[in-house]
Amino acid sequence: MRHTTLIAAVLVMGSIFTACTKKEDRPDLEDGKSTVINDLEGDIGASMADGIDGKVKRPFKDWYFNFKKKEKITDTVENARTLNWDIGFTGVYNSMVVINNGTDRKSPGYGGPGKGMIISVNLPYKLVAEAPSAEEMKNNNLSFVGWDKYPQPYNAGWYFYDLKTHISIPVKSRTFILLTAEGKYAKLELLNIYKGNPAVVSDLHWPAPYFTFRYFVQEDGSRNLKTNE
Amino acid sequence: MFNLIPIKYRLLLLFAFASCSLRAADVKGKLSGIVTNEAGVPLQGIAITVDPDHKRALSDAKGRFTLDHLYAGTYTLTVTAIGYESHREEIEVETGKNKSIMIRLKAGNHSLDEVEIAGAHRNPDNLIDMMKTAMPGQVITRKEIEMMGSRRLDEVLKEQTGLAIVSDIGSGSRAVGLQMQGFDSGYTMIMIDGQPMVGRNNGNFDLSRITVSNIERIEIIKGASSCLFGSEALAGVINIVTRKNITEPQGMAALRYGSFNMIDATLEGETPFAGKRGTVYFSGNYYRTEGFNSNPYLKEGKTAPPFDSYALQGRGRYLLTDKSSLNFNGRYTARHSVNEISYGVMPSKDVLDEYDLNGSVALNTNFNDGTKLKTQYYLTRYQTNQNITDLNSGSLIPGNQFEQYLHRFEVQGARVLSPVVELTAGAGGAYELLDNNAYRSSKTMANYFIYGQIDWQLSRRLSFIGGARYDDHDKYGAKLNPSAGLRYQAMKNLVLKAAVGTGFKTPNFQQLYLVFTNVQTGYTVLGAEEFWREIQILKDAGQITNVFPMARQIGNLKPERSVSYSGGFTYSPLGSVKLDVNVFYNDLKDFINSEQVALKTNGQQVYSYVNIARAYMTGTEIGLNWTMSKSLNISAGYQLLYAVDKGVVDSIKAGTGSYALVYDPALYDMRRSTRKDYVGMNNRSRHMANIKFTYAEEKTGWSGSFRVNYRSKYGFMEANRANNFLDPYDTFVRSFFLLSGAVQKTLYQKHLQLQFSVDNIMDYRDQLMPAQQGRAIVLGLSWRFFKNRTVKPMDRS
Repeated sequence: MRHTTLIAAVLVMGSIFTACTKKEDRPDLEDGKSTVINDLEGDIGASMADGIDGKVKRPFKDWYFNFKKKEKITDTVENARTLNWDIGFTGVYNSMVVINNGTDRKSPGYGGPGKGMIISVNLPYKLVAEAPSAEEMKNNNLSFVGWDKYPQPYNAGWYFYDLKTHISIPVKSRTFILLTAEGKYAKLELLNIYKGNPAVVSDLHWPAPYFTFRYFVQEDGSRNLKTNE
Repeated sequence: MFNLIPIKYRLLLLFAFASCSLRAADVKGKLSGIVTNEAGVPLQGIAITVDPDHKRALSDAKGRFTLDHLYAGTYTLTVTAIGYESHREEIEVETGKNKSIMIRLKAGNHSLDEVEIAGAHRNPDNLIDMMKTAMPGQVITRKEIEMMGSRRLDEVLKEQTGLAIVSDIGSGSRAVGLQMQGFDSGYTMIMIDGQPMVGRNNGNFDLSRITVSNIERIEIIKGASSCLFGSEALAGVINIVTRKNITEPQGMAALRYGSFNMIDATLEGETPFAGKRGTVYFSGNYYRTEGFNSNPYLKEGKTAPPFDSYALQGRGRYLLTDKSSLNFNGRYTARHSVNEISYGVMPSKDVLDEYDLNGSVALNTNFNDGTKLKTQYYLTRYQTNQNITDLNSGSLIPGNQFEQYLHRFEVQGARVLSPVVELTAGAGGAYELLDNNAYRSSKTMANYFIYGQIDWQLSRRLSFIGGARYDDHDKYGAKLNPSAGLRYQAMKNLVLKAAVGTGFKTPNFQQLYLVFTNVQTGYTVLGAEEFWREIQILKDAGQITNVFPMARQIGNLKPERSVSYSGGFTYSPLGSVKLDVNVFYNDLKDFINSEQVALKTNGQQVYSYVNIARAYMTGTEIGLNWTMSKSLNISAGYQLLYAVDKGVVDSIKAGTGSYALVYDPALYDMRRSTRKDYVGMNNRSRHMANIKFTYAEEKTGWSGSFRVNYRSKYGFMEANRANNFLDPYDTFVRSFFLLSGAVQKTLYQKHLQLQFSVDNIMDYRDQLMPAQQGRAIVLGLSWRFFKNRTVKPMDRS
């Protein structure tokens, strides 16, 4: 075979291009102190249809979450004006996260004993070491976090839409510092609304909402939010 | 130094130089001769072609012709004439000598043979020679397709330089299309046997719909070609030429089986009838695949959906008289696909049913003076029905459901006006009807067109191709699209080319008439024609929060336009090596974007379509071909592409809205964006390259190929923060290499062929490339039926 050397060269070149798949590198969320919630199911049976034939329109049902008990609370009527919940998942795809505050009209806990507040900090979760003063919390309180920069540019959110693919993408390196319903300092990172917390969503019909988030509550009442040792 | 010579002697010197260069012309040779029939009677108006220079001469009343200023060397001389057998011979031209030859043409048998001429591409369905248009063209032969072992059209085209199969995530998991020179798939016209195919998913034409089993040749033109083909030929044209007729009865049965339970079975046959006055060809193909999953999160179901498909085609040709023939062509394809998807929760079932019907009737007439005329009626119908069922609730999410008809009538003529001018012209009309559940009623579009192209040999070295097409559309008025190309033979082995052309694309039915609300997320998309009525309905229902000022632009949607500039050269330093370099620049205007124009009270957006975008796609394409030996060939291709949205560049410079900032991970914060932060348009790779080794040994019957394809990283989606443009910190699809190989062996005097191929040898997969399958190993065998003769059957390569 005259072309032995050529064939050998081709094979060698082929082996150099060992293009195999790589498993995506996902950093471990557990740090020993924070609570990590994976794939918490939201209201998956809802529909947004506006008059599409044959479809019953059913808006998304809100639900709440209790940090200490790590529990989802579905009876919103019963629990709204209590201290049984710290954050609520409301609205379209349950993507608007609200806090439990008795004096805030925007909160479902209005009229109850809740002291919740939420502010946004542009730092990765593990670098947030201390909450700001109570004064600063009050001044920068957003009341809710949802779609970034909506309705106003100063409304920091935890996700935004890619207008070409219609997929919601989590805002990275942003942490929310909040006061729980009881008034304790906590930090929260909302990671994903899609099942499996994928790094990138490549399918328009990826199951949602399935919430992945992690949080740390400073039970001693101080402003120390350090979680990495 | 010249100044030192007195004036009168300067003139003498100049004259001496001039006459030297004139005499240098004597370095070339001349070819002349007489064309007669078998009885020795001189024939007039016969075209004699000399290749590779492709120079032409016409015989005069005495049958004489002359071709001068030919470089010394060996040429292939071909003579084709209606009613005669084609004549081909090799001739040697010597410096300063006049080679004289006598050509005797034998009367051909009375069937209009399809004459195979090396280097020329005669297409029975279209008088326009695709390879002789202003813009650069490329041909993929059936032999090449066979050596790749491909089964479906997307597999063949994605390995060509500058072409990529891309997924349109925003249009659903079934939206895939072909990207050419950076243009989205909606801008490349797909034609079958010279007639346009319809049926796109938001502009995306899924090429896996088409089997390669009956493809004779694929012709690709890159660059705006609306001067010949009208709307949609903005990025270029892909023309699929299906099997040609021959005069010998032949048949083939082929079966392939491979990974993912892929089965590809083909049966075809062709035979003359009515004493060689007619020929008929039939082919049938069945293909099925289980699809492939590249998404590790998907527990059940595939990202490249499973499907099975039937394709039937029939062609017939009947000689009405000596000079005219009737051609009939019919094609029917059906595809059925069921994809049951589950991520462990929320299982759903995605069902697609697709039907393609193409038919045409054409009358071909050849007149005594050499004019060729083709009158053709073409009908195509496409129907699709796709929906997704939520298996938990039983509710149905409708997808694309529509029926699209195109009726087209065209008259085409071609004529050699003089030894240096060839004219092709045509005129016709088209009527398109679309019946889509998502539109308020069925919609129609009609247009008529007239076009012409001149191929003019200006001088022995310089040739010019110019064309123009006039389209009159019932919605968009009239459009004139010209194009011009020059070809200059600078030296024997160097050809310079330049071309410019314009293209346009009328808004599609979706951009005009769509009224759609996404059932899952609640956003609404309104076509431009429906916008004001529908927005009023929503306003009256109290569902609109506010309408953006940009909405004022919505009204008459204009066609998208582009101008293509292309220039380059072909250089053959050695007979066996050919280098092709081409630089292109496409200037896009009035491109239609879907923009958010209003906000609903439920927090969701309303989109509509506006002519807002300006962009350019520019780059270079380099191809190198080396025929190492009679059996071994190496070819390499590379494309460099810059795809830039001018609106984004302006917005970044002006600091408008979200464009003003980019999230810098190093700062954990946003900073002012600069032009350098804009990488380019999504889904486009800066670099694409390929190398192909092909081996074909006539004697032993072995042939095969080994190919490597490379795509550099391309933008997939935004990340970090929304700034509406692709910055270096966004999500990209990794760059990758794909290796494939195939080998074939023929036995029993070419009756039996065995094939073995491996696509994607390294099993490369990526979640962000849903349509890319893993390693596919395929085994196949085919049996050709034909009468053994001393002359081998038409080698259709």
